[in-house]
Amino acid sequence: MKFRFIVRRLIVTVPMVLIVITLTWGLIRLAPGNFYSTEKKLPPAIEKNIRAKYGLDKPWYVQYGRMMWNIVRLDFGNSLKYENETVNDILWRTLPVSATIGLLAYLLALVVGVLTGTLAALKPNSKLDYVSMALAMLGISLPNFVLGPILVLVFSLSLYWLPPARWNGFPSWNLVLPVLTLSAIYMAYIARLTRAGMLEVLRSDYIRTARAKGLSERQVVVRHALRGGLLPVVSFTGPALAILISGTVVVERIFAMPGLGNYFINANLNRDEPLIIGIVAFVSIAVLVFNLLVDIAYAFIDPRIRY
Amino acid sequence: MPDSKAVRVVAFVLSAALLAASCTTQAKKSEFFGKIDPPAGQVLRYITGSEPESLDPQMSSGQPEARIDMALYDGLAEYHPKTMEPIPAIAERWVIDEDATEFVFFLRHDAKFSNGDPITAQDFVYTIRRGFRPELAARAAYLGYDIQYAEAYNSLGAFVRDPQTGRFLLASEAAPAGEAKNAGGEATTQPAAPPTEAEQEAELRKELSRKGEEAAPDTPFHHFMHSPARLVVPADEKGREKTFKADPKLQALVAGKEFVPVRAEDIGVEAVDDYTLRITMRQPAPYFLGLVPHQFFRVVPQKVVERYGVNWTKPENFVGSGPFKLQEHRPYNNLTVVRNPYYWDAKNVHLDQIVFYPLEDQTTMMNLYKAGEVDATYNHTVPASWLKSGVRFMKDYMDAPENGSNYWQINTTKPPMDDKRVRRAFNLAVDRKALGDYRVVSKPNSSFVPEGILHGYPSPPGYTLNVEEAKRLLAEAGFKDASGNFDPKKFPVDQVEIAYNTSESNRQIAEFVQAQWKQNLGVTIPLRNVEWKTFQDMRSKLQYKGFAGGAGWSGDYMDPFTYLSLFTTKEGGDNMTGWYDPKFVRMLDEANRQPEQAVRYQMLSKAEAYLLDAAPVITLLKPATSWMKKPYVKGMYPNPGTLHAWKYIYIEHDQAKWDQQMPDMTTDELAAVAAKE
Repeated sequence: MKFRFIVRRLIVTVPMVLIVITLTWGLIRLAPGNFYSTEKKLPPAIEKNIRAKYGLDKPWYVQYGRMMWNIVRLDFGNSLKYENETVNDILWRTLPVSATIGLLAYLLALVVGVLTGTLAALKPNSKLDYVSMALAMLGISLPNFVLGPILVLVFSLSLYWLPPARWNGFPSWNLVLPVLTLSAIYMAYIARLTRAGMLEVLRSDYIRTARAKGLSERQVVVRHALRGGLLPVVSFTGPALAILISGTVVVERIFAMPGLGNYFINANLNRDEPLIIGIVAFVSIAVLVFNLLVDIAYAFIDPRIRY
Repeated sequence: MPDSKAVRVVAFVLSAALLAASCTTQAKKSEFFGKIDPPAGQVLRYITGSEPESLDPQMSSGQPEARIDMALYDGLAEYHPKTMEPIPAIAERWVIDEDATEFVFFLRHDAKFSNGDPITAQDFVYTIRRGFRPELAARAAYLGYDIQYAEAYNSLGAFVRDPQTGRFLLASEAAPAGEAKNAGGEATTQPAAPPTEAEQEAELRKELSRKGEEAAPDTPFHHFMHSPARLVVPADEKGREKTFKADPKLQALVAGKEFVPVRAEDIGVEAVDDYTLRITMRQPAPYFLGLVPHQFFRVVPQKVVERYGVNWTKPENFVGSGPFKLQEHRPYNNLTVVRNPYYWDAKNVHLDQIVFYPLEDQTTMMNLYKAGEVDATYNHTVPASWLKSGVRFMKDYMDAPENGSNYWQINTTKPPMDDKRVRRAFNLAVDRKALGDYRVVSKPNSSFVPEGILHGYPSPPGYTLNVEEAKRLLAEAGFKDASGNFDPKKFPVDQVEIAYNTSESNRQIAEFVQAQWKQNLGVTIPLRNVEWKTFQDMRSKLQYKGFAGGAGWSGDYMDPFTYLSLFTTKEGGDNMTGWYDPKFVRMLDEANRQPEQAVRYQMLSKAEAYLLDAAPVITLLKPATSWMKKPYVKGMYPNPGTLHAWKYIYIEHDQAKWDQQMPDMTTDELAAVAAKE
């Protein structure tokens, strides 16, 4: 049963990715400007040479067909802006950067978020509950383009403790600020989700049964309550991880990280078609796959779910 | 108690933030911006702007790339670190003939690529021909279009040959030659009646022998270059048909002839011997020398380029010609270059390593600069808010005029702006000094060519505030009341507007000038904010009413011609005012024929005065470079293009010798610049 479900989902993924790519391809064409335009006007002869070199003088269906053929072979071709780099090279190089920051941020968010959320749920309406939920509210409402500069201002420019930007491999001090900035909002979400989930579960019948059987509070929480209480967090994890790993535009830009997000924003500004298509394809596959993983994970965590 | 712990954490964070805030106020008192710790050894960490699109010097046209290319490649000439005028590099010296159509470069014998191969004139021939290859599609190719047949080759042109006699048709035969709209655009102003071939030959022989005495020996190719220009038509059938449709006479002329595509070998570059390079122009082009240091003309190694294709600039394949060679390139992160031991002047290179950080976000750049993680930044990197908060008064802030001009275009084809007096009046009613003070990072510019940055160029007097004269001119143009005084109510405000493309600074300037006109003339010109692509379109097609704000021109080279030549095209190009005066074009042509630089500048200045009198633009500002450099970085100067010849730069570890202000720009003696103080 499970196997059939997975296969069916995977089959649906393919046309969805193709639709996303086609839409993207069309939108790039609608956007004004092109990858070679600059402030100064280009002589028509040079523009003609450029269009011929990159096959832009061919009819649209030829261009579309060639792009699709590239995608089927999983070879997105060379970037238009950075001529000697293939899109695949760029993806392979930037993915680890984005994934490092994203995973670290999510890990931190998960540990801190689940911990505070659980503690808050165990003692609802206590001081701890109020303080942590207030902080969580702050974390949700404070956008990372505000939080990031504040952290930089304090820890890099005033205290001179941490570098203000740039990638320096893993592990390095350069990672601290971007990871903190990125994880804040997820931390806050997870804390709130955990608290809500736990509160609901702790009131349910099977917890009462567990308590009635005389289990210790620790066993009740860790073995029985968390499993159900974390379900909302699990469903949040899928899309969140997909977004985090495929690059977070704002944080990568503020901290000048050579990740997927930074490339994506520039690819759009540069109208770098192969690169845009490559990244969009990658991200949409990532989102679909992670959602699938979440659905599968559900089946293992929650015994009530059957496929 | 966990409760109190949380409270304590919050208290700590708050106190840390407060502490930080107090530190910030302290830092403001410093004379320099942020940390000043020179890196150990001779290493420079520099921000040059966004990720270079290519490390192939012929393939890029931007400044971020230009700066990196200046480290990796050497050219015939280099930019002077202070004035940006061409100084000898691989070419030890050069000879320019009297009418500036022929440049002979004498190469040093000890120049080598970074793999030890010698650099010869043939390498330059290869490099320049490569730059014009249509298949390469180099964006900067237009810079060299004045080289004989370069444009024809780059735009896929063909010569026209008579199959019977084997004779090539001349551009002068396709009358009216001056208007020839063929692909090559070989506009020549030859007399209508072509002289007989014998006459031509004799004339040429005489001329060439004169040239040969001074420079390099005569060759058959040299002869070909100086023969009357051949006719060029598009090589492809379709393009030809289009040309013929516009010019049926031309079609009749070429009927029955064969078309010979222009080849790379036809371009006016010739290796006379291993160390002599001769470049021939299609028309007098004294400004060409100023273009020679451009990355487009920097020499590349043929063998490596041909072996690795687009991948030749990857660190594992890279071979360059500059003072530094590529060591590591991690896109969007860092590009590291190290000393090239084979560089001809290696003993005078001070830095061991330069690390370029490709960055786009200004705040991030300034953060890194303040935290002492970079030593210098490129131009226009300091955000406006930081400037206002005091950064511009710091000793490491570089504030020097730039090779650029900010002005507004006027649509001279529509009333009331088709009247010169009206255009002059609006120019006279702007207080440029006040505008410059308001803009902070710009300086007032009353004439069109930026004043005071082109060495030896006497700027003509431009427009300064003179409300009385402005009103008089407007009254003269017919906007007057019964008593003959200027009456603002008569001015047709509904026929003009100030269109500008969306940007904060454009809006500020537009509002400022609008307010000035309102105050000085009592005329309120409406503002109109337009999206960039639309703005470009309405400017090119002259569909705007009145003024187009936000135009700026940054010079391609250090010569007034880079600005004045904007008005040599009637349609297309970057003129966009509709103003075209054959007399002005003639004045420029005559000036360019002038061998003496001082005289030529004098004549160009007269041409500019003529342009200013016709006033197709509202002159406004020249931008300031606005960047930062730590006091221990020496030999780096705020020159008008922010392009630095890296070999002059070094890190000074002796605190007593640090810069205490913007470096002195007055002495331009190269010896003084080159010598480490």
